[in-house]
Amino acid sequence: MKKQYALALMLAAAVPGAGAMVLSSQGLIPFWAYAAVLIAGFPLFVLGLGLYWMAHEGEADIPFLGY
Amino acid sequence: MIAELLFATFFGLLLLGIHRKVIARIQRRPGPPVWQEILHMLKFSFKTTWVPATASTALFVGVVLVAIGIWTAALLVILSGGSLLVIFAIYMLHKIVEHGFGLSSGSPYGKFGGVRSVISAASEIPLFVTVAAIAIFTKSLMISDIVAYQELEGPLLATIPLAAVAMYVVLLSKMPFGPFSIVESKELVSGYKTEHFGVWRAGLEVCNGLKTYVLLLTFILVFIGSLPFWMVLIAMVLITVSLSFVCAVSPMLSPYDSVTIQTLIAGLMVAYVAILGVMS
Amino acid sequence: MNEIGGAPLFFLEFGDIVIYFTPFTLTLFLLALVFSVFVLVSRPERQLEIAFGGDAYYAKEISLSELRFRRFMSIACGLACMGAMVTGDVFDFTLFVSLVGICNVGIVAAVRSRHVQNAAYQYGLVALAGTVPMFAAAGMVAATTGTLSMLELAKGALTVPLAAQALLVLGVMGEGMAPFYAAKAEMFRAPGAPYVIMCSLSSLLIFLRVTEVILLI
Repeated sequence: MKKQYALALMLAAAVPGAGAMVLSSQGLIPFWAYAAVLIAGFPLFVLGLGLYWMAHEGEADIPFLGY
Repeated sequence: MIAELLFATFFGLLLLGIHRKVIARIQRRPGPPVWQEILHMLKFSFKTTWVPATASTALFVGVVLVAIGIWTAALLVILSGGSLLVIFAIYMLHKIVEHGFGLSSGSPYGKFGGVRSVISAASEIPLFVTVAAIAIFTKSLMISDIVAYQELEGPLLATIPLAAVAMYVVLLSKMPFGPFSIVESKELVSGYKTEHFGVWRAGLEVCNGLKTYVLLLTFILVFIGSLPFWMVLIAMVLITVSLSFVCAVSPMLSPYDSVTIQTLIAGLMVAYVAILGVMS
Repeated sequence: MNEIGGAPLFFLEFGDIVIYFTPFTLTLFLLALVFSVFVLVSRPERQLEIAFGGDAYYAKEISLSELRFRRFMSIACGLACMGAMVTGDVFDFTLFVSLVGICNVGIVAAVRSRHVQNAAYQYGLVALAGTVPMFAAAGMVAATTGTLSMLELAKGALTVPLAAQALLVLGVMGEGMAPFYAAKAEMFRAPGAPYVIMCSLSSLLIFLRVTEVILLI
């Protein structure tokens, strides 16, 4: 996976999460909506972050050769 | 809520680190530092990641997302005082996640780990009678109601100690290095997680941290009641240390023995709840 | 309504059959949905096996026709599961659960291995036998209370006989294969992770749901 894709994945999860936190603290969205955003977003954020900071810039990762 | 989520992940991993440290000290080894599991998660997240050639790609990756997602959901359910049944459902669905981890790679080690996870489910399902035992007294399964009941009537730990023991066994069966941790026993390399490396494993560590935190928090809320936050954390550490003692001094059982013992405990629990139900 | 699985979020009425979502049933429903999507989009894994008597190992491949059939069965199983998770009618629930059982037999029976087929045959017998107490339970509920709606039964005015509840649990245990059959060595020789997982997932989901149903009625 290219570095910018991983970054995009991470941001796609983080931005709605942060947005939902702000909206929820203002009382604009109900709790269940905030919870749904977090449940969907947190796993994507974790994987996106991990993939982002280990990914090499430029070319894709070393392809798997085994078996 | 995001702050709680991150805190739960890291504190859960810290508890697992304390678990390892205590086991090591009991066995007269120096052991890793207590923050080792957090380092572990970070280390895995920095490693090169790919998907094995034999794996079922979508499932291999998707199951990591599901693993983190369900425990995030469990944490939110607890924090909002939701239904205990949902927590138990998520606990059971974690079996499917383990099964998914194991099967998706095509590796025989993973496969055996996953299968062991499902066979131990047969013996853990009946432990759910703890739920029935709680419902007999509190007349509700909402965690908020259970906590409110205990503020009036005292902790359920004193009222239904055997149900607490059953729940303790549930906790024990999810701790690594314990007598019932047959899913990741050493003859299977790392069991169901053998083939998940790099970021996938980091995701699994996040899930483990959350899972440990959620299960201990459930135990405390359901059997002790609401405590100030710092006391909850101390109680979690104490329960972890007690679990570590059990894990340190007991060998890992063979799969069949593990299932047999869990089934016996479950049978006892069913009888206990039947008696409670008749008496009430 | 008794809040066993949390406060109800949404009701969908089809005449007197009410589909309802509580946090509990919604969680189970979503899980069934997510795994059905995985079944839809993922290729089966290639299970590695060691050839006896040497160092060689090989990867099992699943033929396209087998893949298609098992994928179909798994998706049907997922749909049946989703139905069983949210329905508010006892008879509907038993119908969906028996469909789950049939699909599970189908998923396993499609594997072209004598040992796996043996296991599938035995499971088929148990699933078939399981339908008897299950439908009997639904019949007893209707006969003793005059309604099959869980929402009506949950109000507490009508008592469902203990025997009906016990038969329902027994029947569901017959239909849900995974935990009881996973110990059969032949069962896990079957490759095709997404499909095999659907078996275990559907079994656990119907166990979880029957717990709620029993507590509710």
